[in-house]
Amino acid sequence: MTEFKLPELGENISQGDLVRLMISPGSSITEGQPVMELETDKAVVEVPSSVSGTVKEIRVKEGEKIKVGQVIFTLDNGASVKAPAAAAPKAEPVAAPPAPAETPKTAPPPAAAAPAASRPAAASGATEFKLPELGENVTQGDLVRLMIAPGAQVSEGQPVMELETDKAVVEVPSSVNGTVKEILVKQGQKVKVGQVIFTLEGASAAAEKPKPAPVEHTSGQQGARLAFQAAIAAEGKTEEQALPPDQPAPAPATFSMPQQLDKVAGSEHREPVPAGPDVRRFARELGIDIHNVKGTGPGGRISKDDIKAYTKSVVTAAATASAAPARGALPAQSPLPDFSKWGGVERVSMRGVRRKTAEHLWEAWNTIPHVTQHDKADITELEQLRAKFAPKAEEAGGKMTVTAIALKVCASALKIFPQFNASIDMAKEEIIYKQYINVGVAVDTDRGLLVPVIRDVDKKNIVELAAEMSQISKKARDKKLTLADLEGGTFTITNLGGIGGTAFTPIVNHPEVAILGMSRSSIEPVWVDGKFEPRKVLPLSLSYDHRLIDGADAARFLRWIAEAFEQPFLLSVQG
Amino acid sequence: MSDTPNLNIAVVGGGPGGYAAAFLAADLGMKVTLIDRELNPGGVCLYRGCIPSKALLHIAKLIEESRHAKNWGVEFAEPNIDLARLRSFKEGVVTKLTGGLGQLSKQRKVQYIQGSASFENSNTLRVAKADGTEVSLSFDRIILATGSRPAVIPTLKLDTPRMMDSTGALNLSDIPKTLLVIGGGYIGLELGSVYAALGTRVSVVEMLPGLLPGADRDLVLPLQKKLEKSFEAILLNTTVSSVKEEANGIRVTFEGADVKEREKVFDKVLVSVGRKPNSEIAGLDKTQVKVGPKGFIQVNKQLQTDDPAIYAIGDVVGEPMLAHKASHEGRTAVEAIAGHKVAFEPAAIPAVVFTDPEIAWAGLTETQAKNENREVKVAKFPWAASGRAMTIDRIEGATKIIFDPKTERVLGVGIVGAGAGELIAEGVLAIEMAAVARDVALTIHPHPTLSETVMESAEVFFGTSTHIYRPKRG
Repeated sequence: MTEFKLPELGENISQGDLVRLMISPGSSITEGQPVMELETDKAVVEVPSSVSGTVKEIRVKEGEKIKVGQVIFTLDNGASVKAPAAAAPKAEPVAAPPAPAETPKTAPPPAAAAPAASRPAAASGATEFKLPELGENVTQGDLVRLMIAPGAQVSEGQPVMELETDKAVVEVPSSVNGTVKEILVKQGQKVKVGQVIFTLEGASAAAEKPKPAPVEHTSGQQGARLAFQAAIAAEGKTEEQALPPDQPAPAPATFSMPQQLDKVAGSEHREPVPAGPDVRRFARELGIDIHNVKGTGPGGRISKDDIKAYTKSVVTAAATASAAPARGALPAQSPLPDFSKWGGVERVSMRGVRRKTAEHLWEAWNTIPHVTQHDKADITELEQLRAKFAPKAEEAGGKMTVTAIALKVCASALKIFPQFNASIDMAKEEIIYKQYINVGVAVDTDRGLLVPVIRDVDKKNIVELAAEMSQISKKARDKKLTLADLEGGTFTITNLGGIGGTAFTPIVNHPEVAILGMSRSSIEPVWVDGKFEPRKVLPLSLSYDHRLIDGADAARFLRWIAEAFEQPFLLSVQG
Repeated sequence: MSDTPNLNIAVVGGGPGGYAAAFLAADLGMKVTLIDRELNPGGVCLYRGCIPSKALLHIAKLIEESRHAKNWGVEFAEPNIDLARLRSFKEGVVTKLTGGLGQLSKQRKVQYIQGSASFENSNTLRVAKADGTEVSLSFDRIILATGSRPAVIPTLKLDTPRMMDSTGALNLSDIPKTLLVIGGGYIGLELGSVYAALGTRVSVVEMLPGLLPGADRDLVLPLQKKLEKSFEAILLNTTVSSVKEEANGIRVTFEGADVKEREKVFDKVLVSVGRKPNSEIAGLDKTQVKVGPKGFIQVNKQLQTDDPAIYAIGDVVGEPMLAHKASHEGRTAVEAIAGHKVAFEPAAIPAVVFTDPEIAWAGLTETQAKNENREVKVAKFPWAASGRAMTIDRIEGATKIIFDPKTERVLGVGIVGAGAGELIAEGVLAIEMAAVARDVALTIHPHPTLSETVMESAEVFFGTSTHIYRPKRG
């Protein structure tokens, strides 16, 4: 049985997260065809197959972590890819472990025979096959049909040709074992008894024969690797580090994705599916590509029931995809106008971080009824404290930023208002309260938005948090984040204050239920004790999931945060 | 579909593709105009193709059998051939069939116009009627079913009744003493067989190394053996370099490695070197229809051309140029126009050569499998083991099925022998229904018939054929 294992993906990449499977049992795949989307810590990449055949069993699940070398799926008709250069023109059953049922079992080719180069045709002792005596008074016949080709394995008793004599058409069986080297007769020709029909390859040659298989395999892996690297390149210029520096930049030509997509989209040159015309029409009427349907009948024949079952599964999958966190099921959008009518346009494929962001935010926006609560915190005093403790944070390797302080403030608030540190399970009609406080911080990188998570924020002090913030931001910008760094958040902070703005409405990072947005603080006149005073004011915007959180609670939560900024003492009293 | 009755469509060309399309469109409630040069629908197939040639081949077979009957103890005198009556039988068949189609058009309220059409734009045709008048008509959709015509080699063109194409040969103006058929395809062999049966000494010249290119060699061989006896000569690997008319015939010069006699004079020459699509339709440049490099109009799986208002079907859109393919396409195009989700995606299109023995095949051929390096299992049943074949003294036939070794599915069927053209239909059904070997083997076939050979081929696959001993190996 042939298996497809996760190929080497590049330097220092030992595993990835299976984002999306693009195959299912029964689907037929060809070399180079992308079979899954894998998210490594560097990027989301499409992994192309290095084998061709029909998928039998899939050994991994979406969402799972997969290691290099792990078996992804097995193949039914396990022919590993035709060798690009090495193999003979007529590919006989490649030395794949379990031979197809009909391969003659009588005489397997000399297995691990010693390299006996001096003894030609040691296996059978014969180097050629001559037309044997066919019967009384029969001296010749017309060669109707040849059943072998150069490179084919023949074994004793196996019919090799059909001969028409004066009496009848007969199948002539081989009396030798080995690999056919050269065929010396042609169809339609008259062949005489005793005439040489074909020659055999020497035993040494036969013994070497199985070797190409592993070579092919590695070359397949190599191909996959090349395609993978091309895929990384396609991810964008920021991924150069993924490639070893001495590796030449892979030519985009080696990455045959568009062709493959063509194959999927277009319907040219497809094998007739095992389904009757009425069933095929039924599929067309439902808008189902029958080539994706797995038949349950004899020989894989597809029935109307198979089509119905498939349609149902597609519909259910689409429904769960829109209800639960599943990826890759973006909504059908209404057709776009032809933008080029009004000027030049460039179409760029939406890959990696951008596409994931799009999918994730679309899902969040569609799942969560959003409300945003705005408030302002007077941070005049806090600013003084910040300046005072800044050297301490620097000593610890961090920077005493408003975000670092906000982390601590939010952690305290989340302890007091646990419904903000929760998730909703609509299917089970349950609220999941988390007994840990991990806060994600939105980081703007040149690849797009990333949200690394700082763990157990409630158990760390501001100096520690500041140090961790600096580290993780750097990690994000250096593309060194691991998936673990991005998982497990319970609440998110996004600070756009460094850029500007007075307020905004962040989108909740689903399946979390609230997010705190911070804008640029400014000096405002504040009415204090009967007069205006210049105070530094920080605008806060809290978006929340209204399914779980009521408006009043949100107002209270945000007020508590504002007050904590205003009187940091609150943190030690209540937080 | 609710909107179809309002559609007004035109079908240009009244062959088996065109009239099938027109009739279905009328049945679906569309307003249909069918335009063809002939008095009635029918096209090449009925007027100068399948139908008249089969009428003649039937007569040829009768003559051959009557000669063969000597072996069975029944001796007939050599036939006395009344060429005029023979022609009128053939023409009677054609008139009856085409007249019947004219009737069917009227019953369906299809407006039949005898004339030729050219495009004014994508929706408008100018029709020059047979009565000399011209009309300009507009339609919602137009289906082009303009067919094909015999291909002509410019160097072999002589303006003399001695040089014939298939149309001329079917006219049967006389029975020449000698006839050269240029092209060893099915048209040449069928018409050559007719003339040979009527007493003409027929030679065939083919530039390729075998007759009937595309067919499996083992199917061709029994026919070739037969033709080697009934024809004067079969010249393979040979081309005709020139033809010249002389007082007593046409002097033909041959070229090729195997040529023994470089020049020879024939009473008549039949050129049957293939057919060309009729895609040079006047005004086509006023539409968005695109014609490919080989002259075929380009269409998608719904038979729609690059012009959304125009569909095309049959010989004019591509190989195989066969009537049954055209009819199926015609019906598919009409259903597509009616808004149904259809596609022309047959699993098999049968091909039949109506010689004696007949050769028929469908789906994957062994040659094709070999060329594609595809692993198949071939199960062949020789007719020498068929009781029915024995009773009609035609044991040279064979039936074979090409199976997928893994799924045991029927991928192709090939038959050579008497009546192969009728027998192949079961093979086509097996392929379309994705039948597996067991399905065919377990279906009871009537005894004693030649159809049993299909069942027994499937049994050969399992090594358990009743009438031949060929145990499964390995």
